[in-house]
Amino acid sequence: MAADRSAAELEQFLSERADHLLRTAVLLAGSREAGEDLLQTAIERLLRRWRRLDGDPEGYLRRTLCNLATDGYRRTGRWRQKERLLRAGLRQEQDPAGAVDLRDALVRLLLRLPPRQRAVLVLRYWEQLTDAEAAEALGCSEGTVKSAGSRGMARLRELAGEWNDTAAICGRNGKGS
Amino acid sequence: MNTDVEELLREGMERFTADLRAPAGLTRLAERRRRRRLAFGSLAGVAAGLAAGAVALAVVVVPDAGHAGIDTTAYVVNRVGSALSAAEPGDIAQMTITTSGAPQPYGTTGTTTAEEWSYGDQWRAVVYSSPGHVVYDEGGSSKSVYTLVNYATRTWARQPRLGSPAPLAAVKTGSGGCEPLGLAAFPVLFRIGLPAIASYASSLPATVASALRAAVSCGALTVAGHQRVDGTDAIKLTSRPASPISETIWVSPGTYLPVRAVVGSPFAGQSGPTQTVDISWLPPTAQNLAKLTVPVPAGFRRVPLVGALLPLQKLPAAQLPRPGKGFGVPPEKFATVYLDPPTPTLRPKQP
Repeated sequence: MAADRSAAELEQFLSERADHLLRTAVLLAGSREAGEDLLQTAIERLLRRWRRLDGDPEGYLRRTLCNLATDGYRRTGRWRQKERLLRAGLRQEQDPAGAVDLRDALVRLLLRLPPRQRAVLVLRYWEQLTDAEAAEALGCSEGTVKSAGSRGMARLRELAGEWNDTAAICGRNGKGS
Repeated sequence: MNTDVEELLREGMERFTADLRAPAGLTRLAERRRRRRLAFGSLAGVAAGLAAGAVALAVVVVPDAGHAGIDTTAYVVNRVGSALSAAEPGDIAQMTITTSGAPQPYGTTGTTTAEEWSYGDQWRAVVYSSPGHVVYDEGGSSKSVYTLVNYATRTWARQPRLGSPAPLAAVKTGSGGCEPLGLAAFPVLFRIGLPAIASYASSLPATVASALRAAVSCGALTVAGHQRVDGTDAIKLTSRPASPISETIWVSPGTYLPVRAVVGSPFAGQSGPTQTVDISWLPPTAQNLAKLTVPVPAGFRRVPLVGALLPLQKLPAAQLPRPGKGFGVPPEKFATVYLDPPTPTLRPKQP
């Protein structure tokens, strides 16, 4: 039966790629819970198109994840709620006495960035996509990807600079352990 | 520095997600969510189109095994409100009202019945005594002419500018849901009493749809499954425990129009009369419209309105329907109505 075969193929695909896609989703959404929710929503959409889907299902899922993360979450206001929580958490973690290294701080700041900037950085530095590939995944121009990535990285560099200054004052290694 | 930050970011993301493993059966989970979302989506989509405001989607899984679907209170309530809005001017509401346990003077209780019809601003009510005899027949026409037929005295009266029933001050939506607006404003759907001249005592058949709509839209009702009413499937809506309303409404799952309502005392912890109202919704055919007309039987004598009304106030208590205080009517309002006690031993001794 075609439906059974398609279902089996989907199971096979997810068994191979679900872990990686979940990690992407968590980075886009900001937490494990939100990431799982995001991934399942994307898989729901994939299920609807599975039989007639042309091309790479992972690309479709990645695009869906990005669209949901940048549009749906922001539109529903969930991002704003999440942002407030993350901001509060980040202020706590920025305590120089805290045992958080720069890599953790960068990820936490990443999660604070506006959804599109965050998605660009996740696609570029986690998924290792080119600007053109990221633009296709996000459904925007390459220029938009470059400018969003540039702004996002600028914020991260600011943090890295502050972190290094603080580390110098506290006598800690800025790169972390 | 740039490369360092990018590399650190990548390492941070790697570490941040290192222990993540996708849950087993993702496809099955997503498929289940999809089915659930489809069920809710189809309901919520319609409800959203009907709802004027956001209503919390209190989900009730219908317990009846014969109905595997899921109803949401918001959805049902909105459908009922819309159905009533559509039916109110379009269909004739025909009601049979049974009032049981109404407190009567001298500690007795009784059961009375009435038939009522409501169509726009036209209405008619026929009230029966406990033995089942017609006590009076009253109604208001579209020309705001009030007609009263007193079967006890075989008289009748007609009075212009009295045809409209008293306005119903039922409920309003407040921060906590339905909030009573004083004694007369308890969400009483139907009042049975003496024939009224725009006073408390009247039944308010012309406002039945408004009353029902207010009751369902005040947020105090919740879906409680399906039941059969006269052999037909119906959705049951009951008042929430904290609600000042104590009522249950059954609506047709096809038309979402109420088919039965049971209203209890709105006073917590106080026993009072219970009204059961069976409702039919009739198309406005000539035959059905005729039911809104108060017929004057041959041989009845026309008298001034007061001449038809006052004798009713002197009828023996057992022959009159009782508006209990639990239905929002101040008892003192009717202190002079129920004049004749059923037993002479309770009558004050004459000097």
